[in-house]
Formats: sequence, structure tokens, C-alpha cells
Amino acid sequence: MTTIGYAGMSHLGLVSAVAAAERGFRTVAYDADAALVARLGRGELPVTEPDLDAMTARNAARLTFTARLGDLKACDVVYVARDVPTDDRGQSDLGPIDALIRDVRPHLKKGAALVVLSQVTPGFTRARMAAGLVLYYQVETLIFGRAVERATKPERSIVGCADPAQPLHKGLAEFLGAFGCPILPMRYESAELAKTAINLCLVASIGVANTLADLSERIGADWSEIVPSLRLDRRIGPYSYIVPGLGIAGGNLERDLATIIGLCDRSGADAGILRAQIANNRRRADWALQVLARRLAPGPAVKLAVLGLAYKENTHSTKNSPSLALLKAIPNLAVRAYDPVVAPTAAMHPNATRCFSALQACEEADAVAVMTPWPEFRRINPVLLGATLKGRLAIDPFAVLDRRQMARYGFEHHVLGAPSVA
Amino acid sequence: MLTHAASPPEAPSRVVVLGARGFIGRHLMAKLAAAKVPVLAPGSAELNLDSPDAGDRLAAQMRPGDALVMLSALTPDKGKDLATTMKNLRMGEQVVAAVVKAKPRHVVYISSDGVFADALALADERSPTAPDSLYGGMHMMRELAFKAVCADRLAILRPTLVYGAEDTHNSYGSNRFRRQAAKDGKIPLFGQGEEMRDHVAVEDVAEVIRLCLWQRSAGVLNVVTGRSYSFMDVAKLVAAQFERKIEIQGQARAPGSAIWHRHYDAGDCLRAFPDFRYRDLAEGLAQTHRQAQALGGA
Repeated sequence: MTTIGYAGMSHLGLVSAVAAAERGFRTVAYDADAALVARLGRGELPVTEPDLDAMTARNAARLTFTARLGDLKACDVVYVARDVPTDDRGQSDLGPIDALIRDVRPHLKKGAALVVLSQVTPGFTRARMAAGLVLYYQVETLIFGRAVERATKPERSIVGCADPAQPLHKGLAEFLGAFGCPILPMRYESAELAKTAINLCLVASIGVANTLADLSERIGADWSEIVPSLRLDRRIGPYSYIVPGLGIAGGNLERDLATIIGLCDRSGADAGILRAQIANNRRRADWALQVLARRLAPGPAVKLAVLGLAYKENTHSTKNSPSLALLKAIPNLAVRAYDPVVAPTAAMHPNATRCFSALQACEEADAVAVMTPWPEFRRINPVLLGATLKGRLAIDPFAVLDRRQMARYGFEHHVLGAPSVA
Repeated sequence: MLTHAASPPEAPSRVVVLGARGFIGRHLMAKLAAAKVPVLAPGSAELNLDSPDAGDRLAAQMRPGDALVMLSALTPDKGKDLATTMKNLRMGEQVVAAVVKAKPRHVVYISSDGVFADALALADERSPTAPDSLYGGMHMMRELAFKAVCADRLAILRPTLVYGAEDTHNSYGSNRFRRQAAKDGKIPLFGQGEEMRDHVAVEDVAEVIRLCLWQRSAGVLNVVTGRSYSFMDVAKLVAAQFERKIEIQGQARAPGSAIWHRHYDAGDCLRAFPDFRYRDLAEGLAQTHRQAQALGGA
């Protein structure tokens, strides 16, 4: 049986390793951080994803966490799977990926394949080719909050090869074949760009949805009524990214925008549409702040309940979180914050009180902002909310709260893509 | 985006105001007087900025701890030609020379949203400057000149259409509408007044300058409310201030004349000054009307 190795136990590496074990492969999961490895060995996972804890536990017999590089010698395929760190402008730092490749290479079994799974820029993999090294690049398409589902049931495997006309490495072909989805071999550069192309198509959809949602709010249309008509159009499709949001967040899409703008600028291709996406994204990230500024006079006595700190539901990640951006812009308001996973810190807001339930956060608050669409917020009872909240202003970008009920109980309910209901 | 050097905010030890007798300058002076901040405000009779030695003479009066507010400009009602533009640039040149020589602690330059292209329908502080008028081009050049010598302690503020009771410019907009309504009982519009614009009260412009002075802000900020209204809506709001019926007169546009709109994203102001809010246009125009009546005019 083929043994699979993963190097770099950040979100990508950890989820991918657990998914490989779930598919029945012996899996070696390496990280240089011995303390992290010890925690992983005890089942203490540093990331939050639905089903990840249970899946890790039930595959414990096949899954070995290790801080010893030499343990990768047992593997037929080794993935370099550390997430690429990015800065505030979405610029990638590929140094840690290079360092990991340097560390892993001497410990590869003869004939083993090394697969770069990290989010590298086009041109990266070919530049790392070396004599005797069987090197591939594979596109990852994990989504925060749905990473396990994406890793265990991929739609396709996109594999970058030195020469796509040659047969795939036997161990890699066996491993990828186990997922039962199409395998698309292509040149390194094509696969690297495919990864970014997928994300930029998503960004474009999000940009269109956000622009038209903004327009809907201004002219009395309701974007949520329009969405089903788009989903039923075969050219757009049922899974298209056309639900409005507070701009893109999480870091991955921002990274790909920055990467491709850089490549366009260097090569002379027109990046104007991508820059427009960034500007659009920045403006939509301000949506809640703008509503709050219009509807609530500022002052230290004003209390705002903030529900959700993570950048989206079912994740611990707060990178570019709209909720944190809102908190940063209202330093003088009193904030009562609750998130099922993320605890508020003084760095997030100087006057934030940590609460342990949504309704507790709403006690005596003048307004509530539902900044992350966690499933449990959908269960908030408008009657109880009305009895708890002092004011009647509800800023609910993702329409987590029932719009008819909110109107019925006298809330001024603001959602993305529709005129506000008072 | 503005960044603030003074936290907590503190009143400057002294403010040098150039253009203190202008529309915005008078409101700023009132705020500084109310806060008992010492002010040096040389008028054009004492310091003609369009003279070759103005920079030296200004520098000689300045102290290193001063804040400098540059409001002086010949506005389009004084001339839209190249000669007026060059005069404005020479004035800017002298003030920049004084900044280089006297090294004030903080500089606030009052520019204009004329630095943006007319066709730019939605603007923010990161929008490219591409002026369509000599006046906008002049402000862009002055912005660059100040940035070249004191970017680290320079706030550039770009007010949009400013309204208030004592406005002297009388350009197309609420101030002219009010005067026309009082004098003739009519407000004539271009076309049907379709163009959308942002309108900011002079008191709010002065308050934003004060906030910048107190926090020693650096960077660029558009002084805009973030809400645009058509000139027709502005005319209706102005007309509503009068007891007698005011006729709003649309008129045919010249063939081929383009309609352009302007909206602003005011998010940067919310972040820079979380406790500040611009007044609502209806409230601001009502206040302006009361003030104008108290002054004995329209």
C-alpha cells in the first residue's frame, strides 16, 4: 500500500493529511515544531473545521504525527503542504516553502515523488526541478469552513508535471485515483495558473454580486430574489459565488489577486479589472461601518453587540475578518462580543467585553451587528432578541436573522442586497 | 487615509492660518478662538503671497512648533484662466519655501476635489488625481509641491462643494439657489438638475481641519459626507426654507452637454475620526438659511 507524507502542519497540511488517512492510506504528517506535533498527537487541533476532530480520531491508527524528518523515508509520495504566509497586502512569502523543500529532499525514499501542494506562484515549481527529483505540483482548493469536505471529495485533481505527456508517478496515480475524480495532468505553469484562475473567477463572481447587491440596496431591488434566477442559468450554475458579502477575506483570494496583478504588471497584461476588484472589495468591507455611522450617533455610552469575529462561519481564522475591521473603526464604542470559537482580545478592541452567548452579548446593547453567519445565530429568536436588545437596530449583512420576523417585531433590519426594513 | 501623530489629541501651541478671511478660514478662526489657541493670520495686505519675498517674510514670522494651515487660493469665481492659475501656483511656491525654511511642526493644505476627473462617478482617497480644470490642476500641483517637502507631517484635505451662509463664491449649487430664491422667487437649474453631488457644510469643513490640527494628522482625506443629492433635490430643500412658494425652473440643456455624477466613499473619515459625523444636508441647509436671515441676507 502506498504511504503518503505531508510536510508542514498548517491548515492545508493538516486537513490534507487527515483526508489521506480517511481514504485508507498510511499517512505520515511531519512538522518541525515538536510542541505542535505533540498537541496533534493528543488530538488537540489548532484549526477549526467541521468533522476534522472526529475524522482525525478515527484514523489515528493510520496517521502518524512526527517531528522527525527521517520518518518521511517510509513515504512513496511526500506533499509539501505548508500554507504560504501572506502580508497585509496579500504578498506571498515563499521562503518557508523553499526551506521545507530543502529540509525534506534528503529524506525522500529513492523514486518517491515530491509534490508541492502549497499555494505557489506560476514558475515556482519548474525553477525547483533537479536531477533525480520526481517533482509535481498539485492544486489545492480547500475552503475555510468546508476544508474536510473539499479534501475528501475533490471535484478533480489538477497536477502540474514537468512533461504532462509522461505517465504519472505510480504512487501518486494510485493515491489520486482513490478519490474517484478526474485527474488533469498539465504543465507546471498551467497548473499553477489554474489554481489562481479558479480563485480569480470566484473573485469576479463575488465582485459582480457585491456590485449588484449594492445597487439593489440603492434602487429598491432585492438581490436575494435575483440569485435563484442566476443559479438556474446553466452558464452561471447552482454553485456559483453570487451571494453578496463583506468583500473577500481569509487571505487566499487576496494573495492570488496580488500575485496575478504582479505578473500582469511585469508582463504587460492589463490588470485593471483586478485592481477594480480590490477597490470594490475594500468598499464592501466597510458596509457595516457605513450603516452603523448612518444610523447610530457615536459616543462612549453607545453599546454595540457584535456577533461573530471569525472571517466566516465554521472557522477559527480571523485574517482580514470584516468583524475585526469594524471593531478597529469604532474604538470609542462599548462592544459586547461573542463568537463560538474566537475570543475577543484587547488588540481587537480596547473596550470589548467577552460574552458567552449571542443573547448575552445583546443585553442592554443599542444595536446588534451579526458579522459572521455562524449557524447558531440563525436560531436567535427575534422575540427574545427584542426583549434583550435595548435598541432596535440590527445590522445583519448575511441575512442570518429572519427578515419577516425582524420586521414584524419592529427591528430596523439592514441586510446586504436589499433596501433596509424599518 | 490619515494617520495621527498626537494621541491623545492636543491643541497646537500656535496655528498660522493663510486665507483666514476666506469662507472656510473665518469658520476655522472662530473655532481656534473658541479653543483659545494662539493664531497668526496675516492678511493679504500684510503678506502678499504673490510676491517674490513672501516665503522669506512668512518664514521669519513662523516658529518650529507652529502648525500651518494653507487655505489661500484664488477660486474659479476670481478667474479660471492660466494667469489666475499661475498666480495661485506662485502663492503655493512661496508657502512651500516658507515650510522648507521654518520647518513647522504640522502642515494642513486645503486642496479641492477638483483634483479628480469629472467622469469619476465614485471616488475615495485612493482614486487617481486627473483634473479636468486648471483650478483642479493647480491644487494637484500644490499637493505635490507640499508632499515633496513635508509629506511626513502634511494633511491634505479635499473639500467637495461647500455651503454656508457667508459663502462669497456663488457658484452653481445651494448657496446660489438660496440667493436666487430670495431675490427672484425662482431657482433656475441646468436641465432638470439631474447631476448628483456631495455637499458639505462649511462648519463641518472647519471641524475636520480642527480635528487634523489637534491630532497632527498626516495623509489625504476627502472632506465629503458620503451622501450625494441631485441639484433638483438640493433646490427643493432650499425652496422648502422659504415661506413663499419658490419656483424651480428646469431648462433645456445645450445639445451634447454631458451629465456627470459624483459620489464619495467616506469610509476613511469614519476611521480617521470615529466620533465625528457630518450633518445631514437638510439640517445643514436649514441652519444656513437661518444664519443668512440673521445676517440680513437671503
